[in-house]
Amino acid sequence: MELFLNRISDGLSNGATYALIAMALVMIFKATTLINFAQGEFAMFGGFIALVLATERGLPMWIAVVGAMAITAVLAAGFERTLIRPFDPSDHLPLVIITLGLFLGINALAGIIWRFDPRAFPELFPSGNALTWNTVTLSWYTIGTIVTVAVVAGGLTLLLNTTKIGLAFRAVSSNLESSELAGIKVGPTLQFGWAIAAAVGTLGVCVFVASPFRQLEPNVMVTGLIFAVSAAALGGLDSLGGAIAGGLAIGLVQSIGVPYLGIPSELSLLAAVAVLMLVLLFKPSGLFGTPQVERV
Amino acid sequence: MSETSTSPELVLEVKGLEGGYGQIQVLHGLDFHVADGEIVIILGANGAGKTTTLRAVSGMISRKGSIKLRGEDISSAKAPDLVRQGVAHVPQGRGTLPELSVEDNLRVGAYIRDDNEIDKDIEQWFDVYPVLRERKNQRAGSLSGGEQQMLAVSRALMSRPSLLLLDEPSLGLAPIIVAELFERFAEINKETGTTMLVVEQNAQLALGIGDRGYVLESGAIFTEGPADELINDDAIRKAYLGV
Amino acid sequence: MATTSPKFLFTEGTNRYRAYKIAGFALLALLILIVAFAYNDTGSITLFDNSYKLSITRVTKSISFMVAILGLQVVAGFTGQLSLGQGFFFGTGAYISAWLVADQNWAWFTSLIVVVPVCFVFGLVAGIPALRIRGLYLALVTLGLAAIFPSLIKLDFLLPYTGGAAGKTVDSDFIPPSWLPLDGMINALHSLPLIGQYFGDGEGMSNKEEQRVWTFFMMVILALICFKLVSNLIKSRPGRAIRAVRDNETSAAVNGMSLSFHKTMSFGVASALGGVGGMIYVSELGIASEGDFTQLISILFIVGMVVGGVGTLSGAAIGGLVIAFIPDWASSTQNLPGIPERWLQGPTGGLILGIGLIVITFVLPGGVISGVRKIRGRFVEVLPKTPAIQLAGAGAAVSADESDIPNDSLGSESPDLSTTVDES
Repeated sequence: MELFLNRISDGLSNGATYALIAMALVMIFKATTLINFAQGEFAMFGGFIALVLATERGLPMWIAVVGAMAITAVLAAGFERTLIRPFDPSDHLPLVIITLGLFLGINALAGIIWRFDPRAFPELFPSGNALTWNTVTLSWYTIGTIVTVAVVAGGLTLLLNTTKIGLAFRAVSSNLESSELAGIKVGPTLQFGWAIAAAVGTLGVCVFVASPFRQLEPNVMVTGLIFAVSAAALGGLDSLGGAIAGGLAIGLVQSIGVPYLGIPSELSLLAAVAVLMLVLLFKPSGLFGTPQVERV
Repeated sequence: MSETSTSPELVLEVKGLEGGYGQIQVLHGLDFHVADGEIVIILGANGAGKTTTLRAVSGMISRKGSIKLRGEDISSAKAPDLVRQGVAHVPQGRGTLPELSVEDNLRVGAYIRDDNEIDKDIEQWFDVYPVLRERKNQRAGSLSGGEQQMLAVSRALMSRPSLLLLDEPSLGLAPIIVAELFERFAEINKETGTTMLVVEQNAQLALGIGDRGYVLESGAIFTEGPADELINDDAIRKAYLGV
Repeated sequence: MATTSPKFLFTEGTNRYRAYKIAGFALLALLILIVAFAYNDTGSITLFDNSYKLSITRVTKSISFMVAILGLQVVAGFTGQLSLGQGFFFGTGAYISAWLVADQNWAWFTSLIVVVPVCFVFGLVAGIPALRIRGLYLALVTLGLAAIFPSLIKLDFLLPYTGGAAGKTVDSDFIPPSWLPLDGMINALHSLPLIGQYFGDGEGMSNKEEQRVWTFFMMVILALICFKLVSNLIKSRPGRAIRAVRDNETSAAVNGMSLSFHKTMSFGVASALGGVGGMIYVSELGIASEGDFTQLISILFIVGMVVGGVGTLSGAAIGGLVIAFIPDWASSTQNLPGIPERWLQGPTGGLILGIGLIVITFVLPGGVISGVRKIRGRFVEVLPKTPAIQLAGAGAAVSADESDIPNDSLGSESPDLSTTVDES
């Protein structure tokens, strides 16, 4: 039982990261029904920027993270403008190919700039345990990741529901033509979505590698993206709340299900992919998504 | 917004309008105009190019020819910019945002506005269509067809346009709802002076509230005239009005 | 060159046309011979003080990629199903044949008896989701498939067969038959004036070299068979049906085609080709290791398909060369003038391919092959058979249809030649 509780705590902290990357995927999918296959690499790159800002510029860690979020947001907005907007949004093939090109390019660029040696990432949350009952522990890191997800979810909700650009973003996600006829400029609105997604993804990677047990290296998100995609699909690809639920669920499956069933840790990726396949096969709208998405 | 005009200024003047989708040309040189405060009806059979005409005017498709809005050429303007110049377009098959609440739909309608009368205008539309107030927190997609059309029209008018383009507002609605809807259009026109260009198949009803009408055939103007003349023209009645 | 230069006109079915095609084929055969002998560890190109060793094993590796991309063309290029999972089948083929050859003492080619049907069936199974889901969702599912391959082969119960993280080493070479005078051939080439210096040292070849050349020949023949089979398949009735599926699912269904059958079959064929590619890869490399079969290889196959030309056979050949040689060349290049060394020491190839993929999508959406065809179209024009009888409109339709797909395997090989020559 105590082991079980500890595993829940692990699962929640992993799941929180998947949830953040999944939210980034959902932001773009909601508006454009496109999956940005480079989302994980954007985020990894942002993680390195945060590390550089903190270690080489000497910024306080959280300021560095916020700075990295802002920088990746601007970069993503630039990518949207130059590489995505010129294409017909309803023709997915060229867009998917562009994002795959970004995936390869950004991964390689990070490898060139920072090399593939794993680097320790400064801790974002206090070390040690917040709570200890017998052998059951709840680390500050776990609490920190969950609080981060809650703050991001709250922030996004506020942004989307109380600001004008948020209203425009929801309108474009709902009906592109009617939004244009209401005077909304679709391009800049989608650009806003790409920027927010990149910022959220960067935060996700920073939180992920801030774990005392992990390090930052250019391939850190190559499989992380698969977990995040599974999380997003499980929650429903167009639901932000679903992305959180999906992320936590995948994290829990990974940490509880896999060891309890006595199968090797290799299987956590298999389990995530199995979830992805089953959901997309039998319920493409996921747990919380809008059923119309099946049209895609 | 525009002052109440004293002279019958032309709100919209279209000459030699051509347009279509990709390689397919639908419109072959249309000439028509809409004067300030008028309700102008465009009639025609299916495929005559009525919807394309509206889409060409509001900048949803690329087009050729001269389109003047109050004397200013808008033939290369895009839809989002035209809204800022006072053109509102209710597309065919309701132009609502199904995932957004009724109230948010109206706020999207006021997207281009910066004034502080938005809430007041929303209340005003809730007074006009009380059913929208009852459902203001529901998703627009959950409304009935008639309610969605009311919402679409209100949403378009939230931008306080000087020219309202309506694309087959009667499509798929029960006759009693359609009659009510058109009565409301006439009232709005009288009360706010909003100029309207209405594409309709239900000629009887549309000409009933219209000042003038055009009949479209194969992408060209077949005939035109005051609404009461068109409604009494036997040939037109037979061929186009299905009476 | 004058742009108004007269075109060479060929009419299908005439002797002149046959001669044109035979010339193309002969050029290809000649190129294969030259590559085989000149490339055999003797050649190298020097670019700004960087010597890049032209090794024939790299060409053989590119052939394995060509065959895998050929499969991808069947499922993604011709049927329009966006599959990011080709690496899974590539890996499956590689491991099965590695196991059969290393542990069961099979010959490489006989391992195909198992590889092809197994990958075909795996492909059919993987194609089942494609019946329900399309577009982006299919891309996600197949990417997931590609991503789990390295984990799969490390599963406990598969370790005895796969070697797990250490990889599966295979020590079995292609021994050229004794009647084949490979030594004599290279010595003959060496004695040629002017170009002889590029062909060996005049003292024959070591056993190792002979094996490499022989492997190359075998794999070229295998690849040519695969290309010819796909070319025939594309032109056959089922092939026309799968292209109809790509162009318009609804109308294909209305015309009585069984969508599910053709879509599933194209997955099967694609996967079987992926498996064949995997076999070639592992037979050349001598080891199957999990790191070679991550989702990255699947993405590289997409790069190859797009850069070569989606929906073309010769595009697959170009794509294979691109994804085999660019990373390889980049990693062996340590300094170029004007470029900081740091930028050449990391994964420069990945950067080039990523940027190249984006650039090609913008400037040459039909891939390199569409550019080659445009240039060839300036000089050579193939007229459809008996155009006089057909109505003008019908004739135009035929040629439009022909230009949509590769004219045929032979005709479309000739552009490859020029590209290959440029590479070498």
